[in-house]
Amino acid sequence: MDGIIETISSFAASEPAIYYLIIGIIGAAVLAAVINLGAMYIVWLEVKLLGDFSARYGPNRVGGRWGLLQIIADAIKLFTKEDTIPKKADKPVYVWAVLVACIAVMLVAAAIPFGALYINGTNYPLVVANMDISAFYVEAALSLMAIGTFMAGYGSNNKYSLLGAFRGIARMISYEVPMGVCVISVAVMAHSLNLAEIAQNQSLWYAFAQPIGFAVFLVALITDLGRIPFDQSEAEEELICGYNTEYGGIRWGLLYFQEYNVMLLGSVILALLFLGGWNGPIIPLPILSTISPLIWMFMKVVIILWFLIWTRSALLRLRIDQVTDMGWKVLLPLSIVNLAWAVAVGSYFA
Amino acid sequence: MAGEPMAVDYYIPLIIFMIVGAIVPIAAMAAIKIIAPLRPSRRKQSTYEGGLAPIRDAKIQYSVQYYLFAIVFVIFDVEVLFLYPWIYVYANKAMQQFMVFGFMNYAVFEMLLFIVVLLVGLIYAVKKEALRWV
Repeated sequence: MDGIIETISSFAASEPAIYYLIIGIIGAAVLAAVINLGAMYIVWLEVKLLGDFSARYGPNRVGGRWGLLQIIADAIKLFTKEDTIPKKADKPVYVWAVLVACIAVMLVAAAIPFGALYINGTNYPLVVANMDISAFYVEAALSLMAIGTFMAGYGSNNKYSLLGAFRGIARMISYEVPMGVCVISVAVMAHSLNLAEIAQNQSLWYAFAQPIGFAVFLVALITDLGRIPFDQSEAEEELICGYNTEYGGIRWGLLYFQEYNVMLLGSVILALLFLGGWNGPIIPLPILSTISPLIWMFMKVVIILWFLIWTRSALLRLRIDQVTDMGWKVLLPLSIVNLAWAVAVGSYFA
Repeated sequence: MAGEPMAVDYYIPLIIFMIVGAIVPIAAMAAIKIIAPLRPSRRKQSTYEGGLAPIRDAKIQYSVQYYLFAIVFVIFDVEVLFLYPWIYVYANKAMQQFMVFGFMNYAVFEMLLFIVVLLVGLIYAVKKEALRWV
């Protein structure tokens, strides 16, 4: 095992460009499969849990008692639907919106450490582009998603879509600033902007070290993901389906699917920044000890996903003016208070 | 290890990820050209508007209040952008020796001034109702 790591690291040092090219190709193939499969089963989990929360069965026909293959049946249905592009739509913008959303998700995924491998007393983070500023980069790439949804709403040339797109952008810009300040508060405590280092250095979870920051970041994250109580850009009862009203078939499927991809990535980011990442007791068994950081990470992500689905079924949608007001007048001052707190007590955690 | 990889090398995987991210939707859209039926009609291709024929174009002029929002956002986003490089100054050991008033880190003091000025701006924007949704 030591020999392999030695060989890899010496190769990375001598031929960095080729090394990162190979890492990129392997990582892209693996992550594209893992994220999309993960998102598929988040859709399944959501439908199933929403069923449970409202005392229904949820999917229970296709693929056994748990309806495990329901999502694949849905995908087949979407692929065989007629592809209708409205005559009045701005066709290039309408088509490219899906592409922008998909690219944004992959760009976020490139810099996120999804876990680590524990080999000989060291954690090796599993990340493709382990850049020094990955926390900043991830936040920047995450907001590219908003451009995709705005393109979808604007290109559809539909009044509901346009309203949804405008609302989506207003909501995004109201919560982007508090979210950024919370990421900075974490970086102040961790003395690093590298997500892998931030996760690695958390002896005490930052959710406990800076509770205000955790609360603000959680609200801002739910807003960024566009989930109830902050789904004003889709708001079924007001705007039909918001920015994706005019989409159908697999185009709609991909756009909808990207929301779940982002939900998965957002949960991973939350776990890394505030919930200790992959830190946890190492299981003293031969193979399990190597992957035990991955197991902890997986458990945290599933709990966060469960929480996000729970809030969706428990809460009601807010009005858009309430949402923007809360972003500017409550969360932004709170996030700055949290930054001051992080600076004041940060030296004790460094 | 012989040497640290250059910063640019970290960004090579991003290009591959962009390509892969683009392949998925392009492949899906190529697949529906083959699989999906295609029977277009005028009714199907009309814009949806509650079942009626759409009234006028959707490209409306939006309220100017909306753009005030955008301007305030730009100001505060630049604030956040300035905070990111500030972390590196703050975390720098050599920088922590400089003290203001005997107890406050110099980098912290600088950023405190910056944020106070921006908070005054935020209060002004709120009082001017620049952040009211219409």
